Amino acid sequence: MTPLVRLDDASIGYGGRALLGGISVAVEPEDFLAIVGPNGGGKTTLLRTLLGVLPPLEGRRTAEGPLRVGYVPQRDHVDGLWPLSCGDVVVMGRVPLVGAGGRMGSGDLDAARRALGRVGLGDLWGRPFGTLSGGQRQRTLIARALAAEPRLLALDEPTNGMDPAAELSAMDLLRALHGAGGIAVVMISHRLEAVANVARRLAFVDKDQDLWKVGPLEEMLRPEALSRLYGREVIVREEGGRRFVYPVAGGGDP
Amino acid sequence: MTALSEFWSAAIIWRDPLVASVLAGALLGFLGVYVVLRRVVFVSAALTQLSTLGVIVALLVLERLDLETDHQEIQLFVAWIFSVGGGLVLGTLGWGKRLPTEAGVGMAYVLAGALVILGANRLVHVAHDLNTMVFGNAVAVPFQDVVILVVVTGLVALLHTLFRKEIVFSSFDRETAEAMGVKVRLWGGVLFFTIGLAIPVAAHVVGALPVFAFLTVPASAALLATRRLSPAFAVATVLGATAAGGGYVASWVLQLPTGATMVVAAGLLVLPAWLWKRLRG
Repeated sequence: MTPLVRLDDASIGYGGRALLGGISVAVEPEDFLAIVGPNGGGKTTLLRTLLGVLPPLEGRRTAEGPLRVGYVPQRDHVDGLWPLSCGDVVVMGRVPLVGAGGRMGSGDLDAARRALGRVGLGDLWGRPFGTLSGGQRQRTLIARALAAEPRLLALDEPTNGMDPAAELSAMDLLRALHGAGGIAVVMISHRLEAVANVARRLAFVDKDQDLWKVGPLEEMLRPEALSRLYGREVIVREEGGRRFVYPVAGGGDP
Repeated sequence: MTALSEFWSAAIIWRDPLVASVLAGALLGFLGVYVVLRRVVFVSAALTQLSTLGVIVALLVLERLDLETDHQEIQLFVAWIFSVGGGLVLGTLGWGKRLPTEAGVGMAYVLAGALVILGANRLVHVAHDLNTMVFGNAVAVPFQDVVILVVVTGLVALLHTLFRKEIVFSSFDRETAEAMGVKVRLWGGVLFFTIGLAIPVAAHVVGALPVFAFLTVPASAALLATRRLSPAFAVATVLGATAAGGGYVASWVLQLPTGATMVVAAGLLVLPAWLWKRLRG
């Protein structure tokens, strides 16, 4: 299967300063790759390099033709000051498809409405974006990404700052969207537990430990792999069909 | 004869200046929505100062070459170079993680201001030309200036109509737009090109202070009074035109300084907008 995008022996960084090297990873169609690591560990730089926003400082990035990407930023990165409705925000996802100078047609509005319906907010089309709850904002941003009809859905800490119920709900939504087929998901999280129940593959990134490791979920959830990431003993338990990850207190230097 | 009837009888004198002021107010009011929402209010102040510096540089060069200093088209051209260049640099380039953007804007503003003072100090004998270019001369606007303003307004309207969705997306959520393949530097450049284009020609008509006011106040009032982006643009445009036109007429009738009266007129429009917001809840 031809990957949507791949990095070969890439060195990532910006401003000519390398953060991490020797990165090889391929994102296949229908993949679900979670990139996990501490804050400031290089996750976002890796994602931006995968998406082609930042060029690799060394090595190579290859992507299939014009790769259609739907991107979901951290919701607090989006300015609530703008007088935009939920629908206005979702329609922005159509901008890359319509092209520079093109007009949005009724088909674009229909696609945006369908995308908002898929995340369960179909009745909030006209609601001011700035008045939405945190969870609703995040879903609106996911809908905007879906409106782009992406082959690759990329999310940067989509559950950051959410309470456990909202986090669970957002992850269930992502699982359902991925399960419906047709898209690969690459998601950043600094919380392993948030992705341990939905991802197919995990990548550990930490520039401070010069750590880069990617593999299937089961392999990456082994205690020895996790203890390298967390710098202490880590226990993974399954309860009620869900995985829970517990770093052990006093198990080593963090 | 009352002051108002005197005003009407002098239509031949004020017609062009009034048209130019209203156009400048409308144009800057529209662009001001982006200025306020992108939180770059002080970029517009720095660009106004850079535009003034462009006029000073043009005058100094003309003088050094022993040419007539009243070539206003040359002054305007150099002012455009400074303003558009400054807009592209301040509006689209970052300063990395070591300095906030505001630091660069502040440096540009204060350095341009200091250079304006130093340059003006060498141009005492052309103080009249300088005064006209820097502080505007809404009392006597030549028809040529109205034509230039109409052309600039038309160009800005065309670019913002054609590329509105790209400029809005890039301005609202640069990170996502970039990740989804939208050329955010290009569209930010188009926005700041139009702002840089509008400032010198508007400053030539109404002066530096009203330019800064019209890029800030009508948009702020419009954003208070409306809940959607398209109405905000429309209301800011109308408020800018109203403040400029109303201020011009008031300054004539009440014999007040034109630029300052326009700024106060713009400021007075914020109150009803704020009240409307309070009443609407």
